[in-house]
Amino acid sequence: MLAGSLALCLSAGAQQAIPSDTQLLQTYNANREISVVGTVVKYETASAMPPMGAHVTLQTASGQVDVHLGNAKLLQASHLQLNAGDNIRIVCEPMTLGDGTYFAARIVQKGLQAVAVRNAKGFPLTPASAMTAAQKEALRGAR
Amino acid sequence: MNKVMNRLATGLVAAAALWLAACGGSGSSVQPPPPVGNFTLASLSGTYAFMTSGEVFTANSLTATPMSRVGSFIADGKGGISGGIEDVNADGTVSPAVVINSTGSSYSINQDGRGTLILSGTSNGIPFTINFAIVLTSGSSGTSAATDGLMIDETSTTNQASTGSGNFVLQNTALFQTSAVNGEYVFDFSGLDPNAAVSIVGEFSATSGAITGGFEDANDNFALTSGPTGTGSFISDPSNPGSLASSGRGLATIAGETYAFYIVDSNRVRLISIGTGATTTPMLTGDAVAQSGVLTPSGGFAFIVAGTSGNGGVTRVGRFTANSGSVSNVLMDTNNAGIFTPTNSGQNASITLDSANPGRGTVTFKDPNLSVPFTFVFYFSSPTSGVIQEQSQSAANGLVDVADGSILAQTGTFSSSTISGAYGLNWSGLSVQNGSGFATQDEEDFLGQASLSSLNLTGTADIFQFTNGAPRTDFGLGGSITLGGDGTGSSAMRNTMTINLNGAAPINFVVYFASPQLAFFANSNNSGTQRIVAGVLKAQQ
Repeated sequence: MLAGSLALCLSAGAQQAIPSDTQLLQTYNANREISVVGTVVKYETASAMPPMGAHVTLQTASGQVDVHLGNAKLLQASHLQLNAGDNIRIVCEPMTLGDGTYFAARIVQKGLQAVAVRNAKGFPLTPASAMTAAQKEALRGAR
Repeated sequence: MNKVMNRLATGLVAAAALWLAACGGSGSSVQPPPPVGNFTLASLSGTYAFMTSGEVFTANSLTATPMSRVGSFIADGKGGISGGIEDVNADGTVSPAVVINSTGSSYSINQDGRGTLILSGTSNGIPFTINFAIVLTSGSSGTSAATDGLMIDETSTTNQASTGSGNFVLQNTALFQTSAVNGEYVFDFSGLDPNAAVSIVGEFSATSGAITGGFEDANDNFALTSGPTGTGSFISDPSNPGSLASSGRGLATIAGETYAFYIVDSNRVRLISIGTGATTTPMLTGDAVAQSGVLTPSGGFAFIVAGTSGNGGVTRVGRFTANSGSVSNVLMDTNNAGIFTPTNSGQNASITLDSANPGRGTVTFKDPNLSVPFTFVFYFSSPTSGVIQEQSQSAANGLVDVADGSILAQTGTFSSSTISGAYGLNWSGLSVQNGSGFATQDEEDFLGQASLSSLNLTGTADIFQFTNGAPRTDFGLGGSITLGGDGTGSSAMRNTMTINLNGAAPINFVVYFASPQLAFFANSNNSGTQRIVAGVLKAQQ
């Protein structure tokens, strides 16, 4: 069901090639986005691995990669469940953080359902981004 | 609805157990001391402007939503709240001019300045109650009312759970008129433009409530614009004209954005964006502070910024010395989404002033391990204080985060004898929490009061880890501060603080003192649980 035939699968080795000076000062750039297709090996709603948040380990054709999904509650609010063995497509960008590298996901797609977890500038979206206009209107009750 | 109620009920029942799960089971055993001090109910007396930012979960919402509020309440000095009003912005959904009634509203104050604040009312026919923990940070002699304090939202009812950190300031009711907004002001508005982070810092000139011009730096979703604010205004709210006289409230237009404002006095105005009813209204809050004095930075400065990067939450806390355009003795600590990076010196460091916009300038320095410099723009409201916004760019010429905060001159000497007495402390940010059936990152707000003696802390605190649905209150707080060198950080030696909370693993921080009475801090590792939090330590004066 994945619409990922166009996907480019990066090798694990490709994650090592980012200059060290980007470790502190790096920007998400949609022009550098790639599409990664793989099978879920492990999904953690709060991984011990940085960046803080949900991570999924994907088995791709070229090896395993670590993907940061942001806030797990956003996936939950969007009713997107990830389980080992699921085939998914990630629109993402390879990023460096500290001594490690990871893929920062912007869109997670499972089957026909796609959920945006970052905006186009890389801002990790809050669970509230999954709300409909009617649900947001209900927030007028917030005090 | 079932999900909502299940979530709230789970939180209410299981908060204590979840605390242990979130913070590790091998935690400290810290008992709260009996409250000591001269604070009484009379210590909270007058009209106060309050502000909090955090999250809300209502009975009809799908999920936790970012929320900010700014308002005003009147404390009678006897435990009663005689009235008030607030404006609420939940991720762009605005509830303007919500009236707070005396019925159901109250407060309590312990001898140590800790207390509770309950604000109630009826809005659209539906009763509401919101609960806060407070710590007074002035009026400690007991002879006069407090002029300020720290607060966190601790609401956990069947209609609403909400958390958030903020503060309250005594208002001068004699100045509840738009003409009180007069002169030069520096502002810092931060928050969300739905689904994007926003930081706006700047300054404007006002003549009896009419903004005649100004300049701002706006980082909206990693895109920077710097330029004139244009004209604007502070006016009485045509829909609620009486709120100006009763609460100092009105409507402001600044750089084309509509805000509700609350006058504190002629030196400070609190604002929250309320838009014009559209659902795309940004959620922005902040203060405008009168500008005065010689605005050439000189000497040591401590600063803190917090916001978001592409990785997630980010905090930077640090210090530098400015001297005639040169910058030296840079020290900074970064927490970028759980990765902690110290900057131990700054190369190619400089500070420049914008001659066209008094008080505005830029400080830049390069970490020796990086080829790209850190850059911050500042607006000083006085020679010793201002607001600061990060404008660092990556090698690919994009802003690396959306973050802003405060900058303060370092004054006084720092030792166990000067950093002593009663303090309030508040932190806010994200932590990994176990709730709703799985571990996840969520808002964490902490408010405590502690006595500092020989740099050891002993006190009592509340914490709201929002996934749990209910706060944990009145638990023991211990810990210690270790000064590095002379405490300023100018010799590249850091101050650290360890906080021990009952039942939790120690939490470690770096601390940058602006004065013996005020410090910025941020967590320095993931001891206990993953956190991205920053806060203030403030003496109860």
